[in-house]
Amino acid sequence: MHAMMTVKHTAAWALLLWPCLFTVSVPLDCKDEQVSITRCPFISQEKLLDRVIQHAELISRISEETCSLFEEMFVPFPLRLQRNQAGYTCITKALPIPSSKSEIQQISDTWLLHSVLMLVQSWIEPLIYLQTTLDQYDNAPVILLNKTKWVSEKLISLEQGVVVLIKKLLDEGALTASFSEQSLFQYEPAPDLLESVMRDYILLSCFKKDTHKMEIFLKLLKCRQTDKYNCA
Amino acid sequence: MAIHSLSCHLLLLLLMSSLDGLIKPGSAFIHDWDQRASSVTLEPHITGCLSRDQETFRCWWSPGNFQNLSSSGALRFFYLKKESPNSQWKECPHYIYSNRECFFNMTYTSVWITYCMQLRGENNVTFYNENDCFSVEDIVRPDPPVNLNWTVLSISPSGVSFDVRVKWEPPPSADMATGWIRVHYELQYRERNTTKWEALEMQPQHQQTIFGLHIGKKYEVHIRCRMIGFKKFGELSDSIFIEVSEVESTETTFSFTIVVVFGIVGILILVMLIIVSQQHRFMKILLPPVPAPKIKGINAEMLKKGKLEELNLILSGGGMGGLPPFAADFYQDEPWVEFIEVDAEDTDSGEKEDHQGLDTQRLLGLPQPINQPMNIGCANTISFPDDDSGRASCYDPDLLDQDTPVLVTTLLPGQPENGEALLDVVGGTSTPERSERPLVQIQTTGPQTWVNTDFYAQVSNVMPSGGVVLSPGQQLRTQESTSSTEQEETQKREKDSEGEEKKEQQFELVVVDPEGHGNATESIAQQALTTPVSPIPGEGYQTIQPQQVETRQAAASEDNQSPYVGPEFPMAQFSVPVSDYTIVQEVDTQHSLLLHPPPHQSPPPCLPQPPPKSLFGMPVGYITPDLLGNLSP
Repeated sequence: MHAMMTVKHTAAWALLLWPCLFTVSVPLDCKDEQVSITRCPFISQEKLLDRVIQHAELISRISEETCSLFEEMFVPFPLRLQRNQAGYTCITKALPIPSSKSEIQQISDTWLLHSVLMLVQSWIEPLIYLQTTLDQYDNAPVILLNKTKWVSEKLISLEQGVVVLIKKLLDEGALTASFSEQSLFQYEPAPDLLESVMRDYILLSCFKKDTHKMEIFLKLLKCRQTDKYNCA
Repeated sequence: MAIHSLSCHLLLLLLMSSLDGLIKPGSAFIHDWDQRASSVTLEPHITGCLSRDQETFRCWWSPGNFQNLSSSGALRFFYLKKESPNSQWKECPHYIYSNRECFFNMTYTSVWITYCMQLRGENNVTFYNENDCFSVEDIVRPDPPVNLNWTVLSISPSGVSFDVRVKWEPPPSADMATGWIRVHYELQYRERNTTKWEALEMQPQHQQTIFGLHIGKKYEVHIRCRMIGFKKFGELSDSIFIEVSEVESTETTFSFTIVVVFGIVGILILVMLIIVSQQHRFMKILLPPVPAPKIKGINAEMLKKGKLEELNLILSGGGMGGLPPFAADFYQDEPWVEFIEVDAEDTDSGEKEDHQGLDTQRLLGLPQPINQPMNIGCANTISFPDDDSGRASCYDPDLLDQDTPVLVTTLLPGQPENGEALLDVVGGTSTPERSERPLVQIQTTGPQTWVNTDFYAQVSNVMPSGGVVLSPGQQLRTQESTSSTEQEETQKREKDSEGEEKKEQQFELVVVDPEGHGNATESIAQQALTTPVSPIPGEGYQTIQPQQVETRQAAASEDNQSPYVGPEFPMAQFSVPVSDYTIVQEVDTQHSLLLHPPPHQSPPPCLPQPPPKSLFGMPVGYITPDLLGNLSP
């Protein structure tokens, strides 16, 4: 029941934050479409970063809830430990992303943002896949499906925000997401249902970790932006 | 179909896992820290791993039942960090043998990467459990918050319950400033000596309010936190105790004191205003004015308004004023006081001087001026106060003249004809009509000079007609014609009040029996005539005291005063300076007492009564019965 309440709470959060999409996406549209300036509301860098962080936090929370929900519904108890064993089988393991705090504190802002961007772009496609696969479950709860759908949508907006951030903070031009072109995720048809379940389970757990990572990276970035000396 | 197969697979897996759980204890430490399955053989195993801040972590192991491996160094701790498929097992970077603990510092700690632990003994004996793998973020248990304190937020008006705000600080070990860890706090409280804890909703703020605690009860509160998105709670903080006793309702006492202070200040201001604005009234309260002297029963307003009747009443003692009767002296000294007579002709009480003059003349039996428009109040010194408002109280010389013959005749039975004449004259005398007085006055012809009256004058002579001569300087009334007196009498007879007659009779002629037969008339006796009486030897006298008089009898003493009537005295005007106190020698027709018979005057032509025989034989005259007879007209 607590999960249900948190899911509802998260849904409410999502509804509240839905105008953020515009604020995040509009600058992109303005720049891409060469629309007049009056149609593009201006947003400050701090506010943009805050909203990106909010996005990341929400996504992380929803992903955690989704994974827990899936685990309770479909994954037997003994098999739940297998996600740990499949740590190196996450799709993003190949990305050069630091994972210890010491390393993270040492990398630059650029690298932080790029890391986040890579993560986000890596997970857009698997989430779409997840939606399709979860629909195939007969007794999948509606909440699970809605959450998954919501997360995939938010992930796209997060990606857009991060892109703008990169442009603003790093003064870089339009970044062609080279990583997104490579499809890290390769869909393989599962031999049986259990495998499919386990694969989905691992996928969700990996996604949970990566969203957690994204959130921490963005927060660290914000800390660096506001007070550089304490965020060593 | 797919579902059915899936469920079958799940059941099989469950069975297998249950069996595995029995065989390999401690395999599930990731999911349940405290659960330790007991088994027959207990090999060395990892008891648990824990991270406080997601930056470092520790692992503990136990040798199990293998006592030979319990010594430190017998077991070695290895870990595997699954960063790549080519990862190697590595030994613990930092041993703490006392705790059988392996500590991983920041360098060796990587988040989001799976770690596996194993123990190795000698000869590469490996005690490994596949399930002892974890990711660091999953084993994070934040330290409890610090500096837990509470403040009373509010107290219910009924004083039964109160609200408390609890504040704390995040654990110092957790790096929350940079956002490395994000936690939620869970506050728990319970009433003292109960077992069940109440948990409030988790929230990331550093304060929380507990509502609805009861005053007088003791509460225990502690807090814990966990990472957002993860399941494992940190340790509980130390408990703090909350208790609000009923004495601590400082707000109500404070407000009460405020109200009292303001009330006192307001009252003081009001009192000051009263003092300042209404000083006179206040001064009256403080220093009451000294009362002015006043006569009891007499209102100054009465005098102003001219209510002399009431004043007479009061002064006479008959009314509520209650003045003692002796105040008649004072009363008589001022003849004008009483005589606001109600008469057909009398409308104004202002002519007091005229009254005064007329009354005096009347007293003296002197002829009054004809053109006296006003009725004369009886300004008699001899008058005495009575209930009637001055009307009957005045001495009416007419009455006296009228009554005297009666009295004379009674006194002098030896002279019946005179007495009868007198009786005729006097008998029918009624209270003199006030209106008749001018007539009476007219009758008194003859030279009569009006002398300044001294109202303590003495009656020097009494005319046979009943007139009284007062001295000093008082002129005797001339003998009045009997016809006039008869006219008077008839006229007076018509209007009569018994009380007045009585009083006039009482007033006019009193003969004192020196031998103690009778009483002197107090009225006459009281006032002017306090002549010492020398008894006439050998002669008895009767008091001419009308029997109707009741009240005045006992007042006078026979020795002191004795107005005397001397009917034998000639009724002649007589102006002889006499001493202040003399005796009545005659009573003339007008009922005036003649103290000295006028020697010069010729008897009036129409003398209704024979001239009284002089009683010169006796300087102090006594009316003998035979003398009385001479007095009859």
